[in-house]
Amino acid sequence: MTDLATSAPDVSTAAAPARTGSSGSAWVKWLARRVGLAILTLWLCSVLVFFATAALGDPVRAILGKDYASSPERAAALAAELHLDQPVIVRYFEWLGGLLTGNLGNSIANGFPVGELVGDRIVNSAVLVLISAILIIPVAFAIAMISANYRGKRTDGVIQVIMITLAGLPEFVVAILLVALFSTTVFHLLPAVTIAGGGAPPWSKPASMILPVLTLVIAVAPYVSRIVRSSLLEVLDSDYVELARLKGVPERIVMRKHALLNAIVPGIQVIALQLAWLAGGVLFVEYVFSYPGIGASLVDSVRNSDFPMVQVLAMVIAAVYVGINLVADVLSILFTPRARTAISS
Amino acid sequence: MRQVDAWRPSRRDILKLGMAAGVAGLTGLAGCGAVPAKPDQNAPQLRGGVYSHGATGGGLKDTLEPYFPVTNPDIARCMQLYEPLLRWDANYEIEPSVAESATPNGDNTQWTLRLRDGVEFHNGKTLTAEDVMFSLGKVTDPQKPGSGGTELAKILELKNSKIVDPKTILLQLNQPYAVLDQLLAEYTVGMLPTDFDVNRPVGTGPFKFNRFVPGQLSQFDRHDNYWDGPPFVDQLIIYDFADDAAKVNALLAGQVQSVDNLPNYLAGTIEQQGASPLISETGAWVPFTMRVDVAPFSDVRVRQALRLIVDRQQMIDQALNGFGILGNDMYSPFDPAYAKDLPQRVQDIDQAKSLLRQAGQQDLDVELVTSSAVGAGAVESANLFVEQAKKAGVTVRLNKADANVFYGDRYLSWNFAQDFWNTRNYIPQVATSSVKGGVYNETHFDDPTFTALINQAKAEPDEAKRNQLLHDAQKIEYDTGGFIIWGFKRQLDAYSNLVQGLQPHRYLPCSNFGFKRASFVTPPT
Repeated sequence: MTDLATSAPDVSTAAAPARTGSSGSAWVKWLARRVGLAILTLWLCSVLVFFATAALGDPVRAILGKDYASSPERAAALAAELHLDQPVIVRYFEWLGGLLTGNLGNSIANGFPVGELVGDRIVNSAVLVLISAILIIPVAFAIAMISANYRGKRTDGVIQVIMITLAGLPEFVVAILLVALFSTTVFHLLPAVTIAGGGAPPWSKPASMILPVLTLVIAVAPYVSRIVRSSLLEVLDSDYVELARLKGVPERIVMRKHALLNAIVPGIQVIALQLAWLAGGVLFVEYVFSYPGIGASLVDSVRNSDFPMVQVLAMVIAAVYVGINLVADVLSILFTPRARTAISS
Repeated sequence: MRQVDAWRPSRRDILKLGMAAGVAGLTGLAGCGAVPAKPDQNAPQLRGGVYSHGATGGGLKDTLEPYFPVTNPDIARCMQLYEPLLRWDANYEIEPSVAESATPNGDNTQWTLRLRDGVEFHNGKTLTAEDVMFSLGKVTDPQKPGSGGTELAKILELKNSKIVDPKTILLQLNQPYAVLDQLLAEYTVGMLPTDFDVNRPVGTGPFKFNRFVPGQLSQFDRHDNYWDGPPFVDQLIIYDFADDAAKVNALLAGQVQSVDNLPNYLAGTIEQQGASPLISETGAWVPFTMRVDVAPFSDVRVRQALRLIVDRQQMIDQALNGFGILGNDMYSPFDPAYAKDLPQRVQDIDQAKSLLRQAGQQDLDVELVTSSAVGAGAVESANLFVEQAKKAGVTVRLNKADANVFYGDRYLSWNFAQDFWNTRNYIPQVATSSVKGGVYNETHFDDPTFTALINQAKAEPDEAKRNQLLHDAQKIEYDTGGFIIWGFKRQLDAYSNLVQGLQPHRYLPCSNFGFKRASFVTPPT
């Protein structure tokens, strides 16, 4: 049994022995270009982040607030600590150098090294996003497959209405409803906030992570499932799927082997976009659930005008964004035979 | 070793509470028998358990520094770890703490401190006069005076003060100061051992340090040898909450037993869900500030007219959601010298118009600077003032400034603005706000008769005579001052009905952060 979906790579691998060297180097070149672009993007981000935070008013005044007038010594000390006497370009390159060598500077708010302050929190946030992502992918694909299978029937209609409704709800409404339902008002089954760890990582009390994860899944899965559903439908209508059916391949296998693999590519793209969004969107969810991640730190640092912290956290979020998109691009190419051959030939 | 997780509310308690709350929430049957009732505050208290408190705010600025608390959770932590020599009771009156007494000499220039016997630090060391001298020296350190030591540093002469015996200290002042005891009762003047290290903080307070994560939580164990009776609970955890909703949810879900600074609008709803509001009077105020040295406010008739324009009750009802007490353009309502007898000023548009006419300002047009950075009630009351002023033909242009601008270059020199002040008694308040040289004298008030009265009062040992002098001083501010003080805030906190022992307190939120008196109502299982 041959099908069109996998026939193209078969051709390229059949001819591979002669072309291995050149196709390998083509891949390396292609990858190097993508990575280079990603680094360029990050560099531009660093310029934006630094100048946006360094150029917005007088940081010393912002930090001291009411005390600025009454304690000129503290103002002078802060100005010295922030090297405000140097030109902004010099400060930028010093900061960039520090960022690259892992010397992230000290928080203005409490003088501790930024790396120490954000390390655990970045891990906590990453775990939250990762668990959500791991749940989102199968949930979204399962819903999409069921929906596509029952296309036009009542099941599909009901699922689509639910998905559109959930997609339309802002995540803070979802969070509030979930808390009211499971923690405070109706049932009393789950912790309402993620504080139960007593300082230990949040996953040491798995129950306290259920609601934040659920909120993120509900916020993201509907989009993904709708995109996957529509690309599934497109594939199911295509000639080669029709051909497979005509050849008597069972619908179940048509869906799994022929349709799903080809619907994965748009799925990867939308999942990547949503995960990248999660890197920022998680801030709000963390806030509502008092989750000890970077969200509260970022809000707090902005409020404190704690520039070293804001800069590092903004760069982390930017890096996640760029990184996820890079991975998604590579995966999309790998899953698209035509694109794959285009690069290697 | 003590079992740390000795007791938390059992699953059954939580379910009971939750089902009850669910019923109340779904059917709207508030107060139907199943909701845990308000605990009986007089019932005998039980020992054990881990008590969690949700503190508002906090973040990376969090610290355990005894003399530089920054955030609200810092204040809560200070109250557990450290204790001043004297302290404020629930009525905002001085009572002895680790010092048994503080007595002035005839002209208020020397004060004698007697320390209580058997006050033990968390590390087992007994509090001595040396520790007190060390602490006072640290809090008034001229290089880095603590927030509670700035005023103290101006009057205290530590070099000429001496330790009489291990329990007695003679404090020498450089000027007569009748209310030194009030400065020594501030929570920011806690007593430390001479070998104090902020990384392993030790004090004499009811709870001892266990762990601290800035922006997240701090954890404390009971100080078993606490001189004022050890706390009921084994352990205390103070969690930081950046978000009001999360804080309230944690309370209703039973994850914390109390929260401070509950949003006013929630006072009613939490009562249907197994929690109780804790309402305290405070002397905190959000005044309008008029500069008495620039036109048009330099004309006392204009100032009095603007004071008469204000509908104070409306401001309390709308800007503070009703959680306020009427103000009468004078501060320090809990001071024994507070001039209660001066008539309550009420809105009088005719009188205001007439005063403005006399001043030649019938078409007065002024700019009022406000900012959300001033705190709850500020922007709301400014908006109300604009409306109320219209009735008297006064145009008020509202300038809503960003925090950086409001507290920027022109802070303390705005002609007409707002500010916030916490509870203080009269003499310390005057020193910061109402005399020349006061750090935050935003009205630029500088009346020689007034200042003379205050200085005379500081030296007056007889309380009745002193209060009379302060009364006369308040009369001057009542008649000519630059503040419009329309009200004092009420403090709103909340606790779960599964705990008892928290009482209204005029000094700090949540029963003066008095978790040492809190206990669970159901016995440990």
